Amino acid sequence: MKTYLKLNNDVLNRYSSTGQLELEKDREATRRYFLEHVNVRLRYFIDIEEKIRYLVDEGYYEKEFLELYDMEFIKQLYKKAYDCNFRFPSFMSASKFYDSYAMKSRDGQEILEKYEDRIVIIALYLAQGDQELAERAVEAMMEAYQPATPTALNSGKKARGELVSCFKLTMDDSMNSIAENIGYCLELSRLGGGVGVNLTDLRPLGDPIKGIQNRASGVIPVAKLLENSFSYSNQLGQRNGSGVTYLNIFHADIENFISSKKPNADDKIRLATLSTGIIIPSIFFELMKKDKDIVLFSPYDIYKEYGKRMSEISITEMYYELLDNPNIRKIKRLNARKLYTEVKKAQFESGYPFEIFDDNVNDAHPLKGLGRVKMSNLCTEILQVQVTSNITDQDQENEYGLDVSCNLGSIDIHAASKVENFEKLVDTSMRLLTNVSTMTNIKNVPSVAKANQLMHSVGLGAMNLHGHLVTQGILYGSKDSVDFTDCFMEAMNYYSLKSSMEIAKERRETFYRYEDSDYASGVYFEQYVNKEEQEVSPVVIKALGNIPIITKQMWQSLKEDVMKYGVFHSYRNAVAPTGSISYIRSCTASLAPCTERVEVRDYADSRTIYPMPHLSNDNAHLYIEAYDVNAYDMIDLYAAAQKHVDQGISMTLYVTDQWTTEQLAKIYIYAWTKGIKSVYYVRQRLQTLEECVACQI
Amino acid sequence: MSNLIYEAVNWNKPTSDLAQVFWDQQWKQIWFPEEIAVSKDVKQWQNFEQQETYKKVFAGLTLLDTVQTNIGMNQIATHTTDLQEKAVLTVFGSFEAIHAKSYSYIFTTLCTNSEIDELFEWVKKNEFLQYKANKISDIYNRIEEGNSESLWKAMYASVMLESFLFYSGFFYPLYLGGQGILRNSAEVISLILRDESIHGVAVGFFAQNLFKQFSQETQDELKVWGYELLLDLYQNEMSYTDDVYAETGLSPEVKAYIRFNANKALMNVGFDAMFPEEEVNPIVMNGIRNEGSTYDFFSQKGSSYAKAKVAPITDDTFQFNR
Repeated sequence: MKTYLKLNNDVLNRYSSTGQLELEKDREATRRYFLEHVNVRLRYFIDIEEKIRYLVDEGYYEKEFLELYDMEFIKQLYKKAYDCNFRFPSFMSASKFYDSYAMKSRDGQEILEKYEDRIVIIALYLAQGDQELAERAVEAMMEAYQPATPTALNSGKKARGELVSCFKLTMDDSMNSIAENIGYCLELSRLGGGVGVNLTDLRPLGDPIKGIQNRASGVIPVAKLLENSFSYSNQLGQRNGSGVTYLNIFHADIENFISSKKPNADDKIRLATLSTGIIIPSIFFELMKKDKDIVLFSPYDIYKEYGKRMSEISITEMYYELLDNPNIRKIKRLNARKLYTEVKKAQFESGYPFEIFDDNVNDAHPLKGLGRVKMSNLCTEILQVQVTSNITDQDQENEYGLDVSCNLGSIDIHAASKVENFEKLVDTSMRLLTNVSTMTNIKNVPSVAKANQLMHSVGLGAMNLHGHLVTQGILYGSKDSVDFTDCFMEAMNYYSLKSSMEIAKERRETFYRYEDSDYASGVYFEQYVNKEEQEVSPVVIKALGNIPIITKQMWQSLKEDVMKYGVFHSYRNAVAPTGSISYIRSCTASLAPCTERVEVRDYADSRTIYPMPHLSNDNAHLYIEAYDVNAYDMIDLYAAAQKHVDQGISMTLYVTDQWTTEQLAKIYIYAWTKGIKSVYYVRQRLQTLEECVACQI
Repeated sequence: MSNLIYEAVNWNKPTSDLAQVFWDQQWKQIWFPEEIAVSKDVKQWQNFEQQETYKKVFAGLTLLDTVQTNIGMNQIATHTTDLQEKAVLTVFGSFEAIHAKSYSYIFTTLCTNSEIDELFEWVKKNEFLQYKANKISDIYNRIEEGNSESLWKAMYASVMLESFLFYSGFFYPLYLGGQGILRNSAEVISLILRDESIHGVAVGFFAQNLFKQFSQETQDELKVWGYELLLDLYQNEMSYTDDVYAETGLSPEVKAYIRFNANKALMNVGFDAMFPEEEVNPIVMNGIRNEGSTYDFFSQKGSSYAKAKVAPITDDTFQFNR
């Protein structure tokens, strides 16, 4: 029995029984962890030079990127990192870093990197020989910027996975496309990716094949094939592949699709490990409001009649046209309220499906001139235009469209409020993300490689919102918290756009078809140059620290620059759920409220107890737990952030088992009315029996 | 043909204080072993040193759940007079069957057929295991029609089984799972535990109601009987623990955990705790917390989802007072 695990577990044990935090137990656990587990395994090197030579010679680091710098500079950079005097603030952060991120010898016994070493290597690797950027990168990462896990984990390593790990694919209604995409999924899953696949364009169960009725098997068997592909291809057994499939709620297979995640679903349709998401056009909510039936369609008819795929049309705009057209079969009529209740039931019982509000996404989409956003990814924060590939027979050339790889990073809000120059922090982050995109070439998936080359999309997000609010004495969900989020996200949007414009100016290059975007036309800026400037309270201003409040005038001048020089990145912002990555930095996850003040985190490899950052016996009341936050207040906060994010925000809803399906429906409808683009999981805290008996006896 | 008058169970009128609560809670947390990807444990299992102990622990649990399904809940349900409580107990019985089967699911995934056959032979031969099975079943089988003391004794024995005797076995998977070893099998156990804790509380609650109706004298007699039974089972449990956990060095910790749960079992039936409070391994304690813990999406299924409460969407659903 490892004493540090016991000590760490004791923190929760004491907290549950006495309500008192004994953080010294956690500190002691961290100390013992270093003594028993880290220090004894840390390989000793005489100096930096010796360390680097060894790691290159032994084939741990790639040598090419290190050769771009001279040794004196590298040494200085290490010194710069070590001078920050970084200390792991909790057992969770230390153990997560050394268990999952630090470079270890091939037999797993020796530890070859400390935290600072990893940061320096990431900086050197991503800066690609640019000394200034490398220095800025070390600063930014020691302070407030965190690249996503695959980038943080893999940078500079000789035997490594990809720097990006999240992908979106569109499947077309043909056997060629189905087979091709399954191949892609195997490849991407092998690289450790989570993959989203849009199934909306596949013909439903019972549709004709080659004119013969009742032949098609529909989307569920394809989803099953994908599920098996992901579990087969598992990164050398390190972790299982993951995937999500999306379907439009007007697709004729929707009922089976919704039920497929229920624990008691028929084995033939049950999806045990594959995630599901549904695309909901606004017309669905409108029909539901009027208590009308909805009609389900087949993408097969739509394509035959209009020459467009179901994912390529706006169902909201086309709905009555489709109803009136005699060539479009009305495959099934369902009461919208009953169908949505089924969705809510499935969410209570399994957490799935995710929901994407089609029109909220596409109305706010700055690249609507290029096409529609058809789907999202595994964490519902990536929302980018895609163009379906035309996969032909083996004796002909394929015409590749555009798919998506997501390249993410997050800013620690608490640390960011304290940095001297927020603009520089965002700019450095954007440049590091840009290099990740340039350095990535997913050659086995041509549509992803092509889009990455043309679109230069990135996703800069944020984390530690709740942690920061606690330090400022602001209650999560209060008006101040909403105002703060609004200002912060606007600043992040502003400076990331400014940075993207600067990069376009330097490189004399914009993203593909920039001229068709709302940036080029200036439409994007309307919401900002005409905005009403809001008074915010002194508490909010204090919480913003060095982050400026962006004025109309600032937007006006950025608009002029953008229209002159263009924009380098097709997409810039996306707020990921930030699981393990936030724990290393001792942040709360994403923009979300904490789920428990003292959290139990189960990974595949261990159970670790994590008292929230900055938590003390005095501020515990500010750490309101997600299940106790008024869900409508939380939506308001996310809606304030969403206004400033060109893609999406991964938003989990927290409910208790006291909720009914109607209450859950209501909160989703509210989210839709507030312009929220996507809802990720529904998480439920099951009341324990002691609680419910206690209140009755 | 007999001329009895049969009464239908009327849920419209509560006849038992908490039957509805127990019923709801149990169905809300329905689960099936197939939902948990135990196969993810296979790789770890191959290099796991204490396979013998682990298998025996699970085999022992299988026997207890079998007794509880076939005899325990059935007998108690048969002799309980309240129709709603009868229904609840019958539902509990079905869950016991799911539990017994879920151990087999783990065996099937991790072990070979001949290993499994050997284990079931071991169950028949292990004296301590057979002793507790016999002891408890005897009490179940001695319920007499119309004799509420015998029914109370059966309920008491049932609580001892579910809140006390199971835990010598639960310890091991919880202990390992908390350290990242065979986590998925531990997940199955934590789901079983979630059920057993309701069963313990519910049957204990029914037993307390019955107990109140007895005269002081009977109550005193039953108390003596109850503590004696507990001590008897406790002695046996100590020997069982020494036997099964022999090579792990964990016996003292398991025993502390057993005493902790013995106290809990006593409290479930409304009796005073018997053993002094002592420190239980915090990793094991954290394994039995009922709230859903946090999972990242690449990991296992969480244990926190449950049946939905359905209510129709109406015009009001679209009105927000904000």
